Amino acid sequence: MLEISIFTILALFMLGGSIAMITNRQTLFSAFGFLITMIGLGGMFALLDSRFLALAQIMVSVGAVVILSMLTILTVNAKNENLPYEPNKYKWMFFTALLVSPFTFLMYKSTSALYQSFSTMETISSKVLGKLLFSDWVLPFEIVSILLLTAMVGAVVIARKERRKKERRKSEERS
Amino acid sequence: MTPELFFLLASILFSIGLVGLVSRRNLFVLYMSIELMLSAVNLLLATFSKVLNDADGSVIALLMIAVIAAEAALFLAMIVHIYRSGRTIDSDKLNKLREGAQNA
Repeated sequence: MLEISIFTILALFMLGGSIAMITNRQTLFSAFGFLITMIGLGGMFALLDSRFLALAQIMVSVGAVVILSMLTILTVNAKNENLPYEPNKYKWMFFTALLVSPFTFLMYKSTSALYQSFSTMETISSKVLGKLLFSDWVLPFEIVSILLLTAMVGAVVIARKERRKKERRKSEERS
Repeated sequence: MTPELFFLLASILFSIGLVGLVSRRNLFVLYMSIELMLSAVNLLLATFSKVLNDADGSVIALLMIAVIAAEAALFLAMIVHIYRSGRTIDSDKLNKLREGAQNA
């Protein structure tokens, strides 16, 4: 009973946050909705008895990803006239929701027809997870590390200021 | 407590992300919608991990979190680059690669 009430509260927070995320015009407010959704997702992982996943969700998604996106939003600091002009936003949203809702129902029905109940099991502790990660899943783990390194280098290269052309032009003008 | 509720929540979250991805034009909202869809899949993986009494699903979800972080870094760098070059975060105005684009 307690679990169901916790689930309901968390689910309402997550749904409210995600709807606020896609409807708000101001980007920072939608980032706050995204933050609420991510925290709720961490709570869901805790409710599913996978402790390490909840911790990783809070640490990585809430602590790093959302904060990074909020910092980017504050740095970009798009003024009202720079935000995209979306007069028919709610109409588009309504029609898309109408179009997507049968697939949602289908997805829910097909997944919930597979299994009816949870298995009675102990929590997935970080011990089990770590052992699995370094025995069966060691190759994907290494690939993920390479992916993170590549993403870091790529992000630095993409977001770097392109000064070279101007500098070259200036030096040509001087000479 | 049944897994049905989690399945319902994951599918609804995925659909909300899809609706946001299709109907909005703000690049930040597009990015957050993609993140939301990935997170919904993550929730589904964790639920299956609990249902099947198998920790492999949790491991995949953990790796997914790392992939989400990498995607976030790249997408935000791309948004900064686009805003710096074009002063816009409107996905409809991105026409740099189009033939005969004006503001190249």
